Amino acid sequence: MVAVLLPVAGILASFVGGGRAAARIMLLAAPLVIVIAGAIAIQIGYCGQPLVYTVAAIPPPLGIALRADGLSAIMMLTTAAIMPAAALYARAAFEPPNGISDSRESLTFWIMLQAIQAALTLIFVGSDMFNLYVALELLTFAAVPLVCIDGRAETMTAALRYLLFALAGSICYLLGTALLYGEFGTLDMALLAQRMRPAPAVWLASGLMTAGLLAKTALLPLHLWLPPAHANAPAAASAVLSGLVVKGSFFIILRLWFDILPILPAQSVDVVLGLLGSTAVIVGSALALRQARLKLLIAYSTVAQIGYLFLVFPLASGANAGASLGWRGGIMQILAHAFAKAAMFLSAGVLAQALGHDRIAKFEGAGRALPLTFFTLALAGLSLVGLPPSGGFSAKWLMLQAAIASGQWLWSIPILAGGVMAAGYMFRILTPAFADGTAAIVNSPDRTQGAVALGLALVAIALGFVPPAFFDFLEIGRTAAALVAK
Amino acid sequence: MTMNSLLLVASLAIPFAWLAAFALPNLRGRALSTLWLAPAPALAAGLVGLGTGPPIEWTASSTGPSLSLDRSGALLLVSAALLWMMVSLPLFRSERPNDRMGLCWLMTMVGNLGVFVAGDLVSFYCLYALASIPAFGLFAFSPDGQSRRAGAVYMAFTILGEAVLLLAFAMLVASEPHGSLRIHDVMASLAASPWRGAVLALVIAGFGMKIGTVPFNGWMPLTYTASPTAVAMVLSGAGVNAGVIGLLRFLPLGDALPVAGSALMGLGFVTAFYGVLVGLTQRQPSTVLAYSSISQMGLIAAACGAALGQPDLLNSDAIAFYAANHLFVKAALFLTVSLWAIPGINSSRFHFVLAGALALGLAGLPPTGGYLAKLALKPGFASGVTASLATLSSIGSALLMTHFVMCLEGTRATEAAPAGLLRNWLAVAAGAMLVPWALYGLAGEAMSKAFGLSNLVDATWPVAVGLALAFVRRRAHWSLPDWPEGDTIGLWEAGFGRVMRGGPPVERLEARSRQWPASSLALVIIALVIAGASALGH
Repeated sequence: MVAVLLPVAGILASFVGGGRAAARIMLLAAPLVIVIAGAIAIQIGYCGQPLVYTVAAIPPPLGIALRADGLSAIMMLTTAAIMPAAALYARAAFEPPNGISDSRESLTFWIMLQAIQAALTLIFVGSDMFNLYVALELLTFAAVPLVCIDGRAETMTAALRYLLFALAGSICYLLGTALLYGEFGTLDMALLAQRMRPAPAVWLASGLMTAGLLAKTALLPLHLWLPPAHANAPAAASAVLSGLVVKGSFFIILRLWFDILPILPAQSVDVVLGLLGSTAVIVGSALALRQARLKLLIAYSTVAQIGYLFLVFPLASGANAGASLGWRGGIMQILAHAFAKAAMFLSAGVLAQALGHDRIAKFEGAGRALPLTFFTLALAGLSLVGLPPSGGFSAKWLMLQAAIASGQWLWSIPILAGGVMAAGYMFRILTPAFADGTAAIVNSPDRTQGAVALGLALVAIALGFVPPAFFDFLEIGRTAAALVAK
Repeated sequence: MTMNSLLLVASLAIPFAWLAAFALPNLRGRALSTLWLAPAPALAAGLVGLGTGPPIEWTASSTGPSLSLDRSGALLLVSAALLWMMVSLPLFRSERPNDRMGLCWLMTMVGNLGVFVAGDLVSFYCLYALASIPAFGLFAFSPDGQSRRAGAVYMAFTILGEAVLLLAFAMLVASEPHGSLRIHDVMASLAASPWRGAVLALVIAGFGMKIGTVPFNGWMPLTYTASPTAVAMVLSGAGVNAGVIGLLRFLPLGDALPVAGSALMGLGFVTAFYGVLVGLTQRQPSTVLAYSSISQMGLIAAACGAALGQPDLLNSDAIAFYAANHLFVKAALFLTVSLWAIPGINSSRFHFVLAGALALGLAGLPPTGGYLAKLALKPGFASGVTASLATLSSIGSALLMTHFVMCLEGTRATEAAPAGLLRNWLAVAAGAMLVPWALYGLAGEAMSKAFGLSNLVDATWPVAVGLALAFVRRRAHWSLPDWPEGDTIGLWEAGFGRVMRGGPPVERLEARSRQWPASSLALVIIALVIAGASALGH
């Protein structure tokens, strides 16, 4: 409960304190947030079962419960790690100008950042579908202003696109929720899972909710808003948007299909989602190969990496051998991509500031001028390509094993092809950068910013070394139904 | 932990310590100048591992990383460690390449030494990637267009190979019922696996990209020609042997699979003769050497095929010994090319004779180490057809290597090798011919076999025939049509270009899908399809 309230308290305090104070509040609260997320994780690991808190001690269906399982705890920790990283990075950029205690930009930035944190936490522990809807809306409304924070017309258009399409998604989701409520009289996830039975309303609801969430996750072909939004936002915002925000709605899709609807015989849904994901991997990577600007390249890489996440549906559905491997691979992909992509966007920010542009064709020799930044990009790229040792490698390795063990070897084609294509676009960035030549440096890079990006990339690499116990922890609280038969 | 496993751990940990030292700016200079010492524990471990007896093992935990060194691995480890030490010493003590080169060199070396001792799939995959990918930085950053092209082609085949092997390894793991990642365990359970055929094909393709079997051979001439001498020495010698150990470890050599064995043998011989034929069309000595490597690796693939078909005739130690010999000779030959670039050398008859003897070692000329290597493979090519093919490949090698020596006269000045190596060319060349004898003895082979008269005659006449053919060819001015360096690579590049032309249409399609009407329509369709799909179960 405290986990949810802390960022909210931070927001309120920020309104009072103004831009400069907001930054301080966010950064001061960060260790506290990590400690809380860590405490929740330890408690879950210690008890071996999810942590449940019923608000005001009124149990569902009347009251609202918050429930944190192993996956929630890991996602909260990830958020708690990436958020302060983005905040540290952004401190220099969004410090109000000297002599002024406050500015619109800085206040907006810090408040929205904390709102995202609150919304994500709520999504990770929410166990009520309407509650999740509220969190999802908060997430969208907090993310949109981050895109257009500098107020340029270009970013306003991008933000507006994002807002409108996300709204369409919300409507779909809300409609689905209403259908479920009409059918079962509750929106508590545990109760829904118990009462779940095949019915036309359920089918329609599952379609609407999934499609709505896909729109918010920007799964190709519903990605119209992502490239402009992620490529035009300030680097710190892009890191959060690409690394975390899209994972929020994806998390709800996971909850929906693995926790609420596991009794539906969903093989064909799994295949549909898997095919959409594969298409996103291939098309997104192909587009990334063709971008002239680094930030757009990274944004399209996100489109491709989101595609990977959806392979978890065919690979981890309960009926298959190797489902557990598929599940672990899918979660590892979420985590590895979150850290690697955040590191890449932050590096791209450092780079754009130092070089005054982010055109890949003009990177010749830039590696000598910005060794740390390109080293960070290389590490993050290692994980994206799926080369060992890295979280990305673990993810691909587990997913491939799941594909083979479950006899669905066809899914190995997009998994491998995406890796090879990622190698292609990393090659495009890194080869000219490390070649001989001299690139002109406009501004000398900020050391803290570089270090923050490097830290995130190192986490993405370190994820390749997690012990098996980590994966057992992820299984805590997966509903029995999801594990036994889907 | 026994002394031997401690040594095994040190053989990998000590080079990693150098890598760590490189990361610290104030230790960097010292790390590079003493870099040649880093492979010393690997050399020691390899020498211990050469002795007869069970493999040396080390395991962190039941599912964690493990190391293992059998005699085949030891042969390749000793030879690789010697080569890395020999080249690193003069290169980093006197030449002082830049840090980019130093880092890439160090990483490639660590990975290369590691693949011979890796005991589980994941360690092997990691070290194999480390041995392959940073090697890009050793040759691809020269400003000329040729080395850029070579780098891109090298990287493409490397990444493709990694992807293919990852799939093969996933299949191997899925076949192992107890969840062990040890190479020994997964290979033991492959016989009962439904994916055995697929694993075989993927392993042959994946490591084939490393050793340059047809049609994956094109990167080799480009890379070796673009590389500075020191780099060409280690890549052509130790680098390709990472692929050889891969074949030896991941082909089920104990299972007796005649069909797969014959297929691999066929592929190997095709590669062996193809390398000779295309090599004869080349004029640049280092390119000729690259084609000779393709041909030699083809023969190794053929030998692997023989061992796969009839495990009782040929074991992996013999193949490893052949590869170790190739390492020494090929490295010495690349140094020879560099020596000929120095004005005045090419007039010396003595140098020519020694270079000739060295080169013809690859065709099995007694008493060079190459003779022993051919002798070791001989049992594998026992039947009439395979024996003739093996003899024919020796003749071909002799022809190609004589062509190489003839090309030496026209060597263009290339980037010079480290002076320390050039000064000691005599020692290097003599060592390349004699060290295999020492390995042969250490590996416990019977010396008496090597001095049998019939064996000596059998080995000598194909060399003589090849030599004579080369001279006849020169006298009669038989010339083959000019082939572009890298031959098949043109086809690959054309194919790649065609794939890339698919880019703009995909881009247009994607741009259209990002329009509002298309996206909204897609949203509705996806909602309906998923609703329909979830109803479909009933």
